[in-house]
Amino acid sequence: MYAYDTFDHAMVNARVAEFRDQVERRMNGELTEEEFRPLRLMNGLYLQLHAYMLRVAIPYGTLSADQMRKLAHIARKYDKGYGHFTTRQNIQYNWPKLSETPDILQELADVEMHAVQTSGNCIRNVTTDQFAGATADEVADPRPYAELIRQWSSFHPEFSFLPRKFKIAITGAKEDRAAIKWHDIGLVVKENNEGEIGFEVLAGGGMGRTPVIAKTVRDFLPVQDLLSYLEAMLRVYNEQGRRDNKYKARIKILVEAMGVEEYTRQVEAEWEKIRHIPIDVPEEEIARIKAFFAPPPLAVLSNDVPSVDELASKNFIFKSWLANNTGAHKVPGYSNVTISLKPHGGIPGDASDEQMDLVADLADHYSQSEIRVSHEQNLILPHVAKKDLPELWQKLDEAGLGTPNAGLLTDIIACPGLDYCSLANTRSIPIAQMITERFDDMKRLMDIGPLKIKISGCINSCGHHHAGHIGILGVDRRGAENYQILLGGSGAEDASKAAILGPGFDENGIVDAVEKVVAVYLGEREEGEEFLAAYRRLGPDTFKEAVYGAH
Amino acid sequence: MAKKITGPQLILANRLDDGRAVFLTAAGEWSKQVAEAAVANNEEELTGLLSVAQAAEVSNHVVSVTPVAADVDGGAVAPAHIKFAMQSKGPSVRSDLGYQVSPNWE
Repeated sequence: MYAYDTFDHAMVNARVAEFRDQVERRMNGELTEEEFRPLRLMNGLYLQLHAYMLRVAIPYGTLSADQMRKLAHIARKYDKGYGHFTTRQNIQYNWPKLSETPDILQELADVEMHAVQTSGNCIRNVTTDQFAGATADEVADPRPYAELIRQWSSFHPEFSFLPRKFKIAITGAKEDRAAIKWHDIGLVVKENNEGEIGFEVLAGGGMGRTPVIAKTVRDFLPVQDLLSYLEAMLRVYNEQGRRDNKYKARIKILVEAMGVEEYTRQVEAEWEKIRHIPIDVPEEEIARIKAFFAPPPLAVLSNDVPSVDELASKNFIFKSWLANNTGAHKVPGYSNVTISLKPHGGIPGDASDEQMDLVADLADHYSQSEIRVSHEQNLILPHVAKKDLPELWQKLDEAGLGTPNAGLLTDIIACPGLDYCSLANTRSIPIAQMITERFDDMKRLMDIGPLKIKISGCINSCGHHHAGHIGILGVDRRGAENYQILLGGSGAEDASKAAILGPGFDENGIVDAVEKVVAVYLGEREEGEEFLAAYRRLGPDTFKEAVYGAH
Repeated sequence: MAKKITGPQLILANRLDDGRAVFLTAAGEWSKQVAEAAVANNEEELTGLLSVAQAAEVSNHVVSVTPVAADVDGGAVAPAHIKFAMQSKGPSVRSDLGYQVSPNWE
């Protein structure tokens, strides 16, 4: 993991001191709310429906066990005993007091964390594959480049007041688990014909009220040119992005309006102007950062572990967990393990302080003290020896963390919705709870297979409904909660936009509609055909007829 | 200047320190109980309540002062729109924590 240098420490501590002073001045009336609001937002502090909400950055979703313990401590001491892991690999606290926020930020700074740039029109936390450095299908670990981007984008003076917020995602794997095509900039680590590492660069993706899938700007960008090229991309956007209308201010609108060819031409022209000034870091610096992400010293072990096979043959739940929640590691004899934060009937992404402490302890014991957060709101132990899987699963299961549903229908992404969020039109969490309760049958879920449901409580799309195999969008229908169903979206390498199937439903109706869609799939699927493939083959009409009846 | 309204209104805000949703009462205090909210039935009454609320904003007791449409049913008052109704009740989930457990939760 990356470790702060003296500059990082000084920067974060200075920010805490600055915010402490700002909060004091707000509390004693020297600052008005109008003056204070942009200052608190720069430190990730929102005012929601019932309380303040603090969004803490988890850079590229990577945490140490000690950092997780600190998150648990903050939940216990300053909040109400839980935190909420988000679709941008961050954590949110729902109940902090304004006057205590500087103390929280100081506690975070003590473990090399902060809440800077988790809000506002700046470059946000860089996200990546939750299995980075721990998956067999990877060209290279993307985290050193994510860290490089973090350093470049932190407090970048030119990009602190962009037309709108800006999100970058990077993956190094063949399977896109970071939804890079739904980001303002997406980067795919790849190898060219000469065996050199570089990036495919995409731009102009985004969700919200205008969903757009990112387009390729450059097929191969050498590693050493990364920062100057990003600088050119941001500069063109910063100069020409729409500042007159916040709904048209994201880069996706600019790229759509000028066309990706023209955007690319302008980026390349800008890059030619700036690439020779020292924006890019020397190779030694990239090597220095890479060293922090060196693979852990794992002794190669056998992939055949009789105790695992034996338990799987006797216990269907463990067998399901093995199939869904563990993945192939790049080192033989190891797995990456997904800890589901989606217990049936539970709140997607929530973890109690006790659960966070337990995950930290398990990471120390089984996973090189490393933890990841996925954008699908689960936690990951990246480096677990296969021989330890039965014991680990039992400990997780006892703590309510053993649900074997990763990637299945009940592994639902849901935004906080109207239970917490001041922007929401409807609640999201109760819909997720009702669906997971309706489908609380592991045999049925295993039969249905991979199926991603994503729920947003408003058009801002924090619940990624546009990318759901089944998406659910909450809308305000004359003051009542109403839920639209969308089908056919994907956040993976085959990214696609989900399409609205028809009129919306109330909260019971939407659960029935999901069940009818699943029934069509089960009735129509071909041998081995997953839900999304079946939808793409069948088209919407078969599903529409089942959900709404023949018209 | 009087505010144009089409029905009863109440004044919702968040406390400065903890962000807790509170309602302006007829006595000019801020209550966690929507049942204690003062109801403005015409534009003049709303203007009067807003001036009290905005003074509390200036003196740093509350932020985000918002007049919201109210449903008045017999003696019971509640925000008409679901968003503000949610704000008056607390989250509908996590019934083990927060003011959804008890309306007097601090």
